Amino acid sequence: MDLSCEDVWREISNYIDNDLDPHQRAALGAHLGQCRNCAALLEGTRNVIRLYQDERLLALPAGFTKRLHRKLRAEIQGPPGSAFGWAVSLAAACVLGAVFLFANLHQFAQPELKSAHSQPAARWPAGPVAVSDDGKIFHVANCPFLHGKWKLVATREAIQKGYSPCVRCMREYLKVDRGPESWEPGVEFAEEVESDGAQ
Amino acid sequence: MLVNVRRRSSDETPPAIRTEQDEQALVERIQAGEKELFYALIRPHERSVYVAALAILQNEADAEEVAQDTFLKALTHLGQFRWQAKFSTWLIQIAVNEARMRKRKNHLEVMRPLEEHTEEEGYYTPREFADWREIPSEALERKEIRNALVQALSSLAQVYREVFVLRDVHEFSIAETAAALGISVGAVKTRLLRARLMLRDLLAPGLDGTWTSRLSFQKGNKPWT
Repeated sequence: MDLSCEDVWREISNYIDNDLDPHQRAALGAHLGQCRNCAALLEGTRNVIRLYQDERLLALPAGFTKRLHRKLRAEIQGPPGSAFGWAVSLAAACVLGAVFLFANLHQFAQPELKSAHSQPAARWPAGPVAVSDDGKIFHVANCPFLHGKWKLVATREAIQKGYSPCVRCMREYLKVDRGPESWEPGVEFAEEVESDGAQ
Repeated sequence: MLVNVRRRSSDETPPAIRTEQDEQALVERIQAGEKELFYALIRPHERSVYVAALAILQNEADAEEVAQDTFLKALTHLGQFRWQAKFSTWLIQIAVNEARMRKRKNHLEVMRPLEEHTEEEGYYTPREFADWREIPSEALERKEIRNALVQALSSLAQVYREVFVLRDVHEFSIAETAAALGISVGAVKTRLLRARLMLRDLLAPGLDGTWTSRLSFQKGNKPWT
């Protein structure tokens, strides 16, 4: 089978890739053995391919791998140091929390209140408070709701014994401060009936 | 008249040679949670992904970003990889898609379409039949020669450049190249023939041996037209 040069050019890539049937390949080989131009074309094309296969030609930019790993690190390990950071932060928070809790345990330890309907104290008044022997609420000494025989005691003692702040004279020390905007019908009445001397 | 090809520059640590079975084992371990192994898995593919992106984008910074995005996406979706293709083909598919999307986003497809679609009609006729003189591998140490080769490749239309890079630079099979680019085997063969002959015409030494002088063409001015 005689092939023209044009026939060879069309199949020269397949010839290089060894992607021809044996007859075609033999025919191209015969032509290439006789035709100097086509042989030069074949050799030149093969050399082009070999040149481009050299890794110096299309090399990775300097630092490519380092930058790539930096970008992947966030996905693989999370943000730099985050796991360790979280662990340290958590441990520190636990230690601080334990210290704070221990130091203020007496404030958080809520004794059983004498009155099931009263609000516990959120914080302590600075000075002593007045309590009556049969009452459940502590007051300032001149509170009009303070009735009967009363005495002054340390606030801590009053709270530990289950006394609650008076909703009139000790409003600011209640855990839930009912201001005018949160007033609800019936609440004030309930507070009043629980005040000392009216129970 | 063979060129001694060096496959890796001396200042790089070659990635460990591994079989497809090794690669499969690595993938399975990563899928099972050993994500740290991902660095080792992708090490042999870094250059091929970067060059595939570069072949499309022709901009080193963009190609590097696309390569990074490709590996990130591969890591994220590795759990869904089921060996329907080789890992390298899967990676290149991602890289090609990412690079094409980036190119569209950058509005770079301005000058190419007419050339890309019309040149597939008919066969390419070589115009240079001078004897190919041996180019020793040492020639690639010279920056101007490397630049000339890169410039010749850059001057090809994208459709030829990407086929040539996958088939001849990365040595993908025809079928793998077709799969990675999402084109038919026939289209790969046609484009590959043209790419090889065009590059050969650009790079073939003239009778005076000044083969690099012909590469001083301006961008967009194709010597073979």
